[in-house]
Amino acid sequence: MATEDTDTGPWSDRGFALGGPDELSEREQAAVEACLRALADDEFVLAERYTEWQVRGPTLEGDLAVANIAQDELGHARLWYDLLEDFGHTEPELIWERPPEDFRHATLVERPFARGDWADAVVRGFLYDEFERLRLDALADTEYPRIADRVGKVQGEEHYHREHARNWLERLAEGRGDPDNGHRRVQEAIDRLFPHALTLFVPTAYEPDIVEFGVRPAPLSELRQAWLDEVVPVLEDFGFRLPVAADAHPEAVDTLLPTARGRDGEHTDAWADLHDEFTFTYRQLDRSEAPRLMVDPDDADEGGDHP
Amino acid sequence: MDLSTVKERAGPRQFGPTDDMPREYREAATRMIQFHANSEIMGAYIERPFVRQAPSLDRKLAVSAQVQDEIGHGQLLYRAAENLGIKTREEMLDELAAGEGKFLNCFHYPLGNWYELPMIMFFVDGAAMRRQATLKRTSWEPYAHAIDKICFEEGFHIKHGEDILRELATGSRRDQELLQRAFEKWWPRILQFFGPTDDQSTHDDFSQEVGLKTMSNDDLRNAFLNAYLPKAEKYGLEPPEYPRVEYHEDRDHYEVYEEDLDWDEFFTVARNELPTGRGQIDKRRRSQDAVAWVREAIETTPASGDTPAAAD
Amino acid sequence: MIFEVFRQETESDYHEHVGNVHAPDEEMARLFAQVMHARRKPANSLWVVPKEEISEVDADDPGVAMGGTTQKAYRWATNYSTGRMAEEIEASEAEQVEAEARRRSTRSEGGDD
Repeated sequence: MATEDTDTGPWSDRGFALGGPDELSEREQAAVEACLRALADDEFVLAERYTEWQVRGPTLEGDLAVANIAQDELGHARLWYDLLEDFGHTEPELIWERPPEDFRHATLVERPFARGDWADAVVRGFLYDEFERLRLDALADTEYPRIADRVGKVQGEEHYHREHARNWLERLAEGRGDPDNGHRRVQEAIDRLFPHALTLFVPTAYEPDIVEFGVRPAPLSELRQAWLDEVVPVLEDFGFRLPVAADAHPEAVDTLLPTARGRDGEHTDAWADLHDEFTFTYRQLDRSEAPRLMVDPDDADEGGDHP
Repeated sequence: MDLSTVKERAGPRQFGPTDDMPREYREAATRMIQFHANSEIMGAYIERPFVRQAPSLDRKLAVSAQVQDEIGHGQLLYRAAENLGIKTREEMLDELAAGEGKFLNCFHYPLGNWYELPMIMFFVDGAAMRRQATLKRTSWEPYAHAIDKICFEEGFHIKHGEDILRELATGSRRDQELLQRAFEKWWPRILQFFGPTDDQSTHDDFSQEVGLKTMSNDDLRNAFLNAYLPKAEKYGLEPPEYPRVEYHEDRDHYEVYEEDLDWDEFFTVARNELPTGRGQIDKRRRSQDAVAWVREAIETTPASGDTPAAAD
Repeated sequence: MIFEVFRQETESDYHEHVGNVHAPDEEMARLFAQVMHARRKPANSLWVVPKEEISEVDADDPGVAMGGTTQKAYRWATNYSTGRMAEEIEASEAEQVEAEARRRSTRSEGGDD
């Protein structure tokens, strides 16, 4: 019954198995929240890392583009956190006062960048954006109307991100200039990041409910296979080695996973520092609320963000 | 075109790349626009830690967008300077990295904390806006063109700066105290933004004669104080006793007491020799150098086989 | 490489030159141009042209008499007198409000964004 619907208009042309935020059972709400936390935290933390390239990008134009992508991702995080606020959570509870171990993002997005390692940003973007497309496609079929309402908006910006990542990947892979640089650095980034990218697909205890209730009808295991089918051949065509074949047995893929898997609250060391940095001013100001500058997403016009 | 013709014809947006401008004009314009472009980059550089440290999602988005805009302004301005045929953008960015590029005094000091941020985002950007508005009438057309877009974007920066200022000024007593402390720290630097009052700047007269500048530093400072001192007062900020600033109603003029300001430091800054400024320059250079390999990777023509991108 | 960028605000507008981008090739130039020149002002289309591919006829060139001057018309007013409080800020804001209104009306008319 769920049709591809990226229109942000009324939901009336499509039935939903789940109701609004007030109409969910306890189990349904827990599944919706778990799904949203992974979504929101992934986008927020990835954006946080991307902003490190501001004023440090390889060219002025490249700097502007990555800043834009960071803002897009932050905007997406804002949309998803806002849906968690439906359940009574506030922005400080969701971000600024939340202990680091309560964040549910994959470890891929929290890894620090080594100075000047643009290949890391490119590979990370590529691995993440291909995952993000699959996840959003799956969410387009959600049974939860509040998510359905916003998927189209987010999808609208992801195309640029994928183009951006693929174009950079291609140019670095071509190994112009000193071939040792582009190609070697991309290969190193793949070696380092691929296991962390796999944490994007690590299911939480809520996964069976998320699928059963149709919050995200496609299971993560299915998304992972689709993702491997997409990213592995692309990278291999550029002459890169991957730790696993696209058609490897799922158990063989599982063995590549790092110890910390993010989704269960266990993170890599870099996360504590990052968390400490981005909550610094909030703590210094001794705040209990986070100032809003824009109207609530529900009250914003199509694409509008001016009060 | 000879210099006397330039001075005769000098007016808003009078000259462009197709005009045969004398070297003196092109050099003066390059110096001025390069300074402006460098300032955008270094301004972005001192603001960038607050993308990470912003205390709410919306503030983070706004600070990120501001830093992004500043880099965009740098892009537009380097283009306007490049068109003068004296230096390429790469040369100007290299000079900045090497510590040879000059930029605004205020951007030689790092921002200590969130309370100091509106000192840049509101007062310094406000002062810059004051100057930029007059540059819409500069004689080098590509410069004016860039200024158009900069002014279009910059208004939001100052409004956001003011919003942060308002939040802190109406916050707790501690907020107000820390804000006042930040104001006292930055106020003398802000007063020096427009340079010495008696115009020790040697390039000034020439720039005005050929229409690159349309207003003296003194008039700009005065206009700035007229607009922004009442704003400071509105938010309960008290200018420190020194440097003294006196308003003379008869002439509608603010007198800034030169001798109360540290001009040795100002000229140390101007030579890029202030340790904190030097630190900013060097840190930025290291991050530029670290991605030199990327620029190389995308700008070198493929060694074999591939057809270059340019069409035949 | 340097690419010159021309922005068209709505379908019924001309493309106007808005600046350039430095990029390794046309594909990347198109990506960069979207952010550099169409992130804040509305754009229906961008032309991204290799700088060296542009040839120019200038009104002052020998034998050319097009009746124009090198000056161009610009969208925003430039009469900024001094004296009033932070007038330039208000002006900048007014420009942004106008651009935003245009962006919205373009969206609701156009349909196919």
